[in-house]
Amino acid sequence: MSTGEEKERIELLQGTLDLLILRTLLLGPAHGHAITKAIEFRSDEVLKVEQGSLYPALHRLIKRGWISVEEGTSENNRRAKFYRLTAKGRKQLAAETSKWEKFSGAIARILRPTEERE
Amino acid sequence: MKRRGKRLLSDLDQEIREHIELATQENIERGMTAEQARYAALRKFGNVTRVKEDAREVWTKVWLEQLGQDIRFGLRQLRKSPGFTAIAILTLALGVGANAAIFSLVNTVLLQHLPVRASSRLVVIWISNLKNGWSRIGPAGQDYLDWKDQAQCFEDLFLFEHGTGTVTGGGEPEQVAGLRVTTNFAEFFGVRPLLGRYFRLDETSARHNLVVLSYAYWQRRYASSPAVLGQSMTLNGEVYTIIGVLPSDLATVFPVDVVVPFDNDWLKRVDSDLGVFGRLRANVTLQQASSEMSVLMGRIAQQRPDRKDYGGVLVPLESARVEYIRPALLLLLVAVGCLLLIACANVGNLLVSRAVGRRREIAARIALGAGLGRLTRQFLIESALLALAGGASGLLLALWTTYVLARFIPTRIPVPNAADYVSLPSIHISAPVLVFILLISLLTGLLFGLLPVFQTLRFDVNEVLKEAGRGSSSGPRGNRTRATLVIVESALAVVLVIGAGLMVQSFSRLLQSNPGFNSNHLLTLRIKLANDAKDSPYKEPRRQAAAFERFLTAVQAVAGVQSAAFTEIVPLSQDDMDMAQFVIQEEPPAPRSQHLASDFRDVTPDFFHTMEIPLLHGRVFTEHDNLDSPRVVLIDETFAQRFFHDQNPLGKHVQISDSTRPPREIVGIVGAVLDTGLDQRPRPTIYLPSLQSPDQTMSLVVRTALPPSSILPAIKNAIWSVDRDQPIFNVRPMDEIISSITSAQRVAFLTLDVFAFLALALAAVGIYGVTSYAVGQRIHEIGVRMALGAQRSDILRLVIFQGMKLASVGVVIGLLASLLLTHLMTGLLFGVSATDPLTFVAVAFLLVWVALVACHIPARRALRVDPMVILRYE
Repeated sequence: MSTGEEKERIELLQGTLDLLILRTLLLGPAHGHAITKAIEFRSDEVLKVEQGSLYPALHRLIKRGWISVEEGTSENNRRAKFYRLTAKGRKQLAAETSKWEKFSGAIARILRPTEERE
Repeated sequence: MKRRGKRLLSDLDQEIREHIELATQENIERGMTAEQARYAALRKFGNVTRVKEDAREVWTKVWLEQLGQDIRFGLRQLRKSPGFTAIAILTLALGVGANAAIFSLVNTVLLQHLPVRASSRLVVIWISNLKNGWSRIGPAGQDYLDWKDQAQCFEDLFLFEHGTGTVTGGGEPEQVAGLRVTTNFAEFFGVRPLLGRYFRLDETSARHNLVVLSYAYWQRRYASSPAVLGQSMTLNGEVYTIIGVLPSDLATVFPVDVVVPFDNDWLKRVDSDLGVFGRLRANVTLQQASSEMSVLMGRIAQQRPDRKDYGGVLVPLESARVEYIRPALLLLLVAVGCLLLIACANVGNLLVSRAVGRRREIAARIALGAGLGRLTRQFLIESALLALAGGASGLLLALWTTYVLARFIPTRIPVPNAADYVSLPSIHISAPVLVFILLISLLTGLLFGLLPVFQTLRFDVNEVLKEAGRGSSSGPRGNRTRATLVIVESALAVVLVIGAGLMVQSFSRLLQSNPGFNSNHLLTLRIKLANDAKDSPYKEPRRQAAAFERFLTAVQAVAGVQSAAFTEIVPLSQDDMDMAQFVIQEEPPAPRSQHLASDFRDVTPDFFHTMEIPLLHGRVFTEHDNLDSPRVVLIDETFAQRFFHDQNPLGKHVQISDSTRPPREIVGIVGAVLDTGLDQRPRPTIYLPSLQSPDQTMSLVVRTALPPSSILPAIKNAIWSVDRDQPIFNVRPMDEIISSITSAQRVAFLTLDVFAFLALALAAVGIYGVTSYAVGQRIHEIGVRMALGAQRSDILRLVIFQGMKLASVGVVIGLLASLLLTHLMTGLLFGVSATDPLTFVAVAFLLVWVALVACHIPARRALRVDPMVILRYE
């Protein structure tokens, strides 16, 4: 779709975003806007999700069967789509979380000694 | 899953609107104005269209959808420039069509197997005697029997003899092509009869009188009636029972009318000119079989001294059949390959130029986020569309070309040095050819489609967009690609034109080569006396001679006949060979290892006069040289030079060593005749008066004042006025014989000429395209030069020099490549060297001249430039 470089960046972002969405839905079903808000809020506004990329990610998760979708009513009383974590998604979240912890731990270990040397 | 995706996607718009609505509200709550809040929310959300597309990508096979888009886009692009599209498709159609036509020819002739069992293991077995210069002669019945007993490398051997038979009873007497076979025929070839049965292994005695009909003969003579089985037919005066019909495809192996079994007793007596096929054992190679054969021939020679110095020659049946035409076909394959490359270069050139023109469009698309992969695919799809359209048009062209090729490619081709013909299956576009067309179309599409990708996609987007409206210069890389293409195609064109030039010279020399007789207005036909029949009036030699004498008298009386004669073998006809060893009585006997061998011909006295073969010394035969007078012979000048050197041969005597015939006095020397082919050397020949050496089968040669075909009915009637039941066959004007034996060269000559012309035209178009493109690019510079006072001649020189530089490099490379490549043609060339300097120089000049013309047209256009107009655009 795009140059290789760009693709890699998106891929990384997607994976992370998927994890964050699953984690957010662990707290209960939510609609799209609520999910972005939750991510931004819980990360102290550090993570700025390009909100648009949320929807393709949701569709991808639905297709994989990790989340499901149902009709509901939003806080301003309109019809909205609520996304809910499935059992399969829960399992996936656990796996992804431990993978992520390993990953970030490893990065941290690499970065720390460099700082000490300086 | 799919439906769920569809619903989600259809609701996505609403969902996004909702999302933005919520975000806007939040922003308002944070104290923004309504408008600010909405913009902030939109900005934060990102590109809505892109989001929707990304979401759709989750659910669909994107590549398929994009492919559809790209194809539609490609078609739109091609429609937008119909001129470019038409030229590209036409060019490709020429390249692909020519390739498909030649490939279908090659596929039919060289690649297809014979319709018989284990056809790749079948070999033709000849015997040879290199000391006598006989490279391939048909073995004798005893050879076959010895091999069958002793050779280990064959599963089975099969023996056959081509002959002719006379069918009488019911209508005109007909001479049919017959085949006498051993009774393992069915088993050997693994073929089933279409109707009835084949011979049983034990039906080897002549008294069975069984006959199997060929499909064609069954159709022709019996209107494909299944009731023929069990019917009888009169063949050579004897009654035969029809027991079966051959399948139609067997005609490619044996183009005959009737098949009869060998009589085992008779087999032992046949002393030469039989055909033997062997089927090699599955694990035996040709080399192993050949070496076993030479050992075996040595052993046979100890038992049979007449086989001393003989060897065995094994040639795979399938390649033996096409030996004669294979070099011509391979040459054509190389030639069309070159043509296709030139076509590719041309189309590649067009695409590169066009891609340069589209650089701004491409830059804009890259800026808008199109990836390199997508763009590459776009280019490839465009070129693939072109290639497929070219391939489809090429197919039409190929259909037409094969139709034409089928007209002038003979269905029968001679087997070299074997006095035999094989028949070729008809040429047609078959499934492998269609696959071939598809493959080479896509391959060429890939080849020239990648060119513009490589050379246009590597530019700086910003630079291009900044160039604004001026964007005319294409940068050095584009020029270099085009320059390379022009060099390549000029070089290829040089190679092709040199090949064609050599062929033209060779062919015209071949046709001009003096065969030793006058081939114009000469009609030939064959007559075989029916002396096999029990009640034949021609049993006795004197009667045979007398019969031919009567035919001759009748024919000579026909109005329009200038002279006529009989000969055992018509020169160049490949009908037969008659060779024998001899000794010269007056000479000391030659050492055993040096047999003298010569061709022999029985002719009537008027033969030399009719053929216009000059008498050099002595006298020709007269009607007094008959069985009651001293035996005499004539020799040709080749014989005189080879065996008598500077002595006078007249009055000397020759004796055919392995017969009981008496010595014969040499009474004259006649001119040499090319007997075996126009590109062969004359062979030593002895002529015998047919009155002293009567034959059963003779050929009539008639010199006419009228066109040979118009006089034919009168000649036939004259013969039938002597014998109502006498069949006449092999009726051929000498022109036809000559065109048949030069068919391989003619095919190569005509086709190569067409290809060379196309190559030249394509190269000219290529040079023209590049030069005129360069003029377009430099129009501004030219305007400035003219404004500064450059002369017209300076501008002309400038433009022409640029094009000629490329063409000249191409010509030099082409000449060098030709030096390496033309030796491929050596076997097809006659009287001209594969590196003929004259041809090379002439072709170089031709190419330079064509390039000059091609450069001149755009150069003239450059001169029409009005400096004021150009500079005003500054």
